[in-house]
Formats: sequence, C-alpha cells, structure tokens
Amino acid sequence: MTRRAKGHGPCHSEEITCKRLVMEALYDFEEGTMPEAERAEFERHLALCPPCVGFLDSYRATGRTLRALKPREVPNALARTVFEFVKARCGKKP
Amino acid sequence: MSAPGVSHRDDGSVPSDLDLVRRIKAGDEQALEQMIERYHARVYSLSYGVLRNAEDAEESTQDAFLTLYRKIGTFDESKKFFSWFYRVALNQAYSRARRRRAGGKVSIREHLPRFGEDGHLAVPDWPDATVAIEDEVAARELAARAEGFIGELPRAYRDVIWMADVEEMPAAEIAEVLGISIPAFKSRLHRARLHVRQRLAEISSPTRRSLVAS
Repeated sequence: MTRRAKGHGPCHSEEITCKRLVMEALYDFEEGTMPEAERAEFERHLALCPPCVGFLDSYRATGRTLRALKPREVPNALARTVFEFVKARCGKKP
Repeated sequence: MSAPGVSHRDDGSVPSDLDLVRRIKAGDEQALEQMIERYHARVYSLSYGVLRNAEDAEESTQDAFLTLYRKIGTFDESKKFFSWFYRVALNQAYSRARRRRAGGKVSIREHLPRFGEDGHLAVPDWPDATVAIEDEVAARELAARAEGFIGELPRAYRDVIWMADVEEMPAAEIAEVLGISIPAFKSRLHRARLHVRQRLAEISSPTRRSLVAS
C-alpha cells in the first residue's frame, strides 16, 4: 500500500502504528490474551489499515502452514523397533 | 532387562506416567513397552523438528528411550515426567545434530518485518497467502519451505515454534520443558513466527517470483 501522507490515516495515531501492532501486540491479539480496551483500539486500526490486515492474513496463513506439518508419518513399527533396541542394550533393570 | 516385577492394574484403567515410571524402575518390561507406545510418536516428531531427517529422528528416538531406561532411577517423582523426558529427547536430538552439522545459522534479526520510519507497513509482501494455502500442492511446498526456515532458526526459537505450532503443545508445558518463563515463551514464539512468515513472504513476493522465473 502506498504510504499515507504524514498526519493522515490510522498509522498516525500516537499510540498505534503497524510496527507496534506487528512487533508488540500481535501475539496477544491472536491468542485472545489482550485486554479488551486495547483490542478494540487495534481493531480500529485494522479497520483502516489494509497492509496490517494483509499482514495478519499472512501471519495466520503461516500458522496454518506450520500446523499442516504435524501429521508427520511415524515409521511403521517404530514403537516395536525402539523397544527391541532398548531391550538389546539393557540386560538388567535400571 | 529383567522380567516384569510389578503387577499390572486389572481394572482396565490407563496407568499414569508416574505409575509406569515406578514400574519401569522396578524392571517391568511391559511398563517400558507402554511408555514407548505412549510417547514414541511425539518424541519422533520432536526429534524430527531438530534433525529434519527421518533416519536421524528414528535413531534419536531410540537413543531417547534408551536414556530414559538407563536414567529413570534419577527421575525426581515430584516433577512432571513429560518435562523431564522431553528434555532428555531434545538433548539427544541436539547431540546428534551437533555431530552432524552446525545449526541455527541465521540471526533472528535478519528476517523480520520491515517498517518505514513512521512505523508503517509499506507494500504488502505476501499478497496471495490465502491462495497458496488453499492450493494443496502449493500448500505442501510452502510447508516444506517453512520446515526449512524453522531449521535455520537459533535453537531457542526453533524449539519453541516447533513445539507450539507444529506439535501444538500448550504454552505452560513448553515453558516447563524448556525451563523458561511464559513471557519469554511468548516473545520467542512471536519472533519465530515473524521470521518464518517473513521468509515465506520473501519466496512468495511477486518480485522474488519474477526474479526466479527470469
């Protein structure tokens, strides 16, 4: 997005900047651990700031991408292999 | 390994970790088998997060359980078993990783979002995130790249993002396993997420794509 002229647009609020939202507040915003008043303030910022909305979308997309890594294929019979491995190396109780 | 020395519950209830620990200490093979059955997939995935290689992760999982068996006598029963065991598993994986290669080559500061002097975000750097995620092939490719980007993070950040966003472990558990505070956990996780997002943005941006295509 083209940068807005100084003194206009949501990012020129003294309190809220894109940087503050992204770097300091996004975690709590996303996790729902942000105080309600602060959240409302950031939501107002988001309503007027397409780059932040885009950033938020991509942050969420990153989360979805990472979660998609989870159903990792565990090798067949790994539990049995591990058990036999430990048994073969330990002849007596710990 | 001695023959089972502790009798099993016969009420059909699932034994707790501590039940199994006590029985393993007493030399109960079946308890060890149950413990392996309970945790092998999570330990494998955790190890994979560090090593990013199936064969290494499998061997590291074996080593983790071997260490568990050998060191179970030192486990303090007043502590949570999984915290102790995940640390054992992580140490095994990192020890193997050190033997194989140096990790964490990229500084966490190198790939974070960029802002103007006034705190603005400038041009959106990842305009088609949703499209990429919805396309199955693109999503798989993106996931593979994300996995690589996690691998280049310093250990402090890599462990946190892998456990939180891939393993989906609760914050309190992760903080306990890693011995860090909740605020430190949040800060590391957020930084790590920003890093991975930024790296994905770099390979997704139109400028980058046209450079690759040309």
